[in-house]
Amino acid sequence: MSGVNERQTGNAAPQSVLYGGTAAGEEVIQIRHLSKSFGSHEVLRDIDFSVSTGDVTCIIGASGSGKSTLLRCINLLETPTSGEILYHGTNIAASKVNAAAYRAKVGMVFQNFNLFNNMTVLGNCMVGQTKVLHKDKEAARQSALAYLEKVGMEPYINAKPRQLSGGQKQRVAIARALAMEPELLLFDEPTSALDPQMVGEVLDVMKRLVQDGLTMIIVTHEMAFARDGSSHVVYMADGIIEEEGSPEQIFSSPQNPMTREFLSRFMRG
Amino acid sequence: MPQDYWGRMVYILQTRGMSYLNGAKNTMIIALVSTLIGCVIGFAVGIVQTIPVSKKDNIFKRALLFVVRLILNIYVEVFRGTPMMAQAMFIYFGSAALFNINMSMWFAAFFIVSINTGAYMAETVRGGILSIDPGQTEGAKAIGMTHVQTMLYVILPQALRNIMPQIGNNLIINIKDTCVLSVIGIVELFYATKSVAGALYTYFEAFTIAMVMYFVLTFTCSRLLRLWEKKLDGADNYDLATTDTLAHTSGMYSYPGGNSSEKRRTDGMEKGQAAQSEERNDEASADRSFGKERDR
Repeated sequence: MSGVNERQTGNAAPQSVLYGGTAAGEEVIQIRHLSKSFGSHEVLRDIDFSVSTGDVTCIIGASGSGKSTLLRCINLLETPTSGEILYHGTNIAASKVNAAAYRAKVGMVFQNFNLFNNMTVLGNCMVGQTKVLHKDKEAARQSALAYLEKVGMEPYINAKPRQLSGGQKQRVAIARALAMEPELLLFDEPTSALDPQMVGEVLDVMKRLVQDGLTMIIVTHEMAFARDGSSHVVYMADGIIEEEGSPEQIFSSPQNPMTREFLSRFMRG
Repeated sequence: MPQDYWGRMVYILQTRGMSYLNGAKNTMIIALVSTLIGCVIGFAVGIVQTIPVSKKDNIFKRALLFVVRLILNIYVEVFRGTPMMAQAMFIYFGSAALFNINMSMWFAAFFIVSINTGAYMAETVRGGILSIDPGQTEGAKAIGMTHVQTMLYVILPQALRNIMPQIGNNLIINIKDTCVLSVIGIVELFYATKSVAGALYTYFEAFTIAMVMYFVLTFTCSRLLRLWEKKLDGADNYDLATTDTLAHTSGMYSYPGGNSSEKRRTDGMEKGQAAQSEERNDEASADRSFGKERDR
C-alpha cells in the first residue's frame, strides 16, 4: 500500500522537469471562489483549491457532485459563472484570454476518449503537434511514437479508433494528450467507461505518469488509485469541497461525516 | 424510315446518335461542375451557420454573424422554395430586362444549377456537422485547436464522409434536372431528344433512347460514388507494428497474476518479437506485483 507513495514522492521532484519545465512546488493552478450554474441550477459553489507542480490531485465524490464540471471549468470547456482560475497567476477565466493557447498547455483525457475518428492512432497523436505546436512532421512523428510506446500502443499506429478496444482507445487518448507535452494533465473519469480488465491497462499507464512526476488532476471513482496513486485528495459533494487532504488523512481518518459516509462502502470492501 | 419499333430506334441512333451524345455531354458537364460548385457553396453556408456564438464574444462579431445568417437563411429558403425552371427563366431573362446584364446561356446554366444545389447542400452540410459527436470538438479543443482548425482537421472530414450519400443524391438529381435548362436554350440531353423526336415524329422511340441514356449516366455515377465512399472509409484491417504489451490478456486487474504461462502466450509471432515481448511481459508483471500487494 505504501509502495506507490514512496515511489511517487521519491521521483516527483527531479522528474517534474520533464513536463512543462517549471520547478517543483510552484503553483500551477489556483482556483478562487469558483462558481458555475446551468440556468438556476448551481453546480459549483465557491470552490477554492490549488495545484502545484508535481501534485497528483484526485477528486472524488458521488456522481452529480460537480467533479467533472470543475475539471471542465479548469480547461475552459465550461465557462465559470464567477470566480477566478489563476494559471501561473493569470486569470484565465477572464474574457480576453486566448483559450486555445491555454488549452495547448493543459491536456485533458475524457471518459469517452474522444479520439478523432477520421485519423489513425498515429495521426491522433501527431495532429496537435503539427497544427497547434507547429512542429515539423518528422519531429511530431518521433515524439508521437515515443509517447505511444510509453502507453504500450505503438503496435497500433495504423489502426483507426473504431478498431480498438476501450482500454486501448483511452491509452491512445493519454498519448495524444502527452504528445502536447502539457504542464498539467486533467483526467475526467478516464476508466468509467471501461470493463475491469481494461481499467487495469489504463491505471497502469496512469501509474507510470505518477512515477514520472507529471502534474495531474484526476476525477475518478477508482478509490484504490486515489488512495495509492495521489498526493492530494479532494472530496466533493453537492458542488462544494467538503474535505481535502493527503490520501492518508482522507482514507484513514476522514473528519467530515459525509466523507466517512461516502468512503464507508469502499473502506469495508 | 423503317416501319417497326426496333428498326426506327436503330435508324435514330444511326442518324442522330451524335446529337444525343452531344446532349449527354452537355448534361454531364453542367451536372458535374454545378454539383461541385454547389458543394462549395453548401459547405461555406453550412459552416457559417454552425459557428458557435457565446455571450463572451464582442457585439460586433455577433451582429455581423446575425446579419450574414439572416441573408443566408433567405437564400436557402428562396431557392429551395421555388421551382428551378421558374428560377431559370427569372434569372436568365430577368437579368437582361432589369439589370441590363447579358448573361451567356452557359453562365446562366451553371449559375442556376449551382445556386440551387448550394441551397440544398447548405442544410445537408449543417446536418452533417451537427451529426458529429460533440466529443470530437471537445477533444480537438482540449489539445488547443482553434474553431477553424477543429473544423478543418476533425469535423469537416467526418461530416464530408457522412454526407457523401447526399452529395451523390444531388449529383443524380442534377443530371436529371438539367433538362429544365432547355427552357433557356441549352442543348442538353432532353433538348436534343426533343429535337430528334420533333424532326422525325418518333416521340416514343426518341424518348426510349433518352430514358436509357439518363439511366446509364445516373447509375454509373451512383456506383462510382459508392466506390469513392468505400475508399474514404479506409481499410477494414490494420497492420500491427509489434505486439501490445499492456493489454491484460489474463486475469482481472484486481486479481493480477493469473497463470503466467498464459501471459507469455506468443502464438503467431515471429521469434524475435516473441523474445522481445517476453522481456516486456516480465516488466509488466513486475509492475503489476505492486498492484497485488496493494489489493491485499
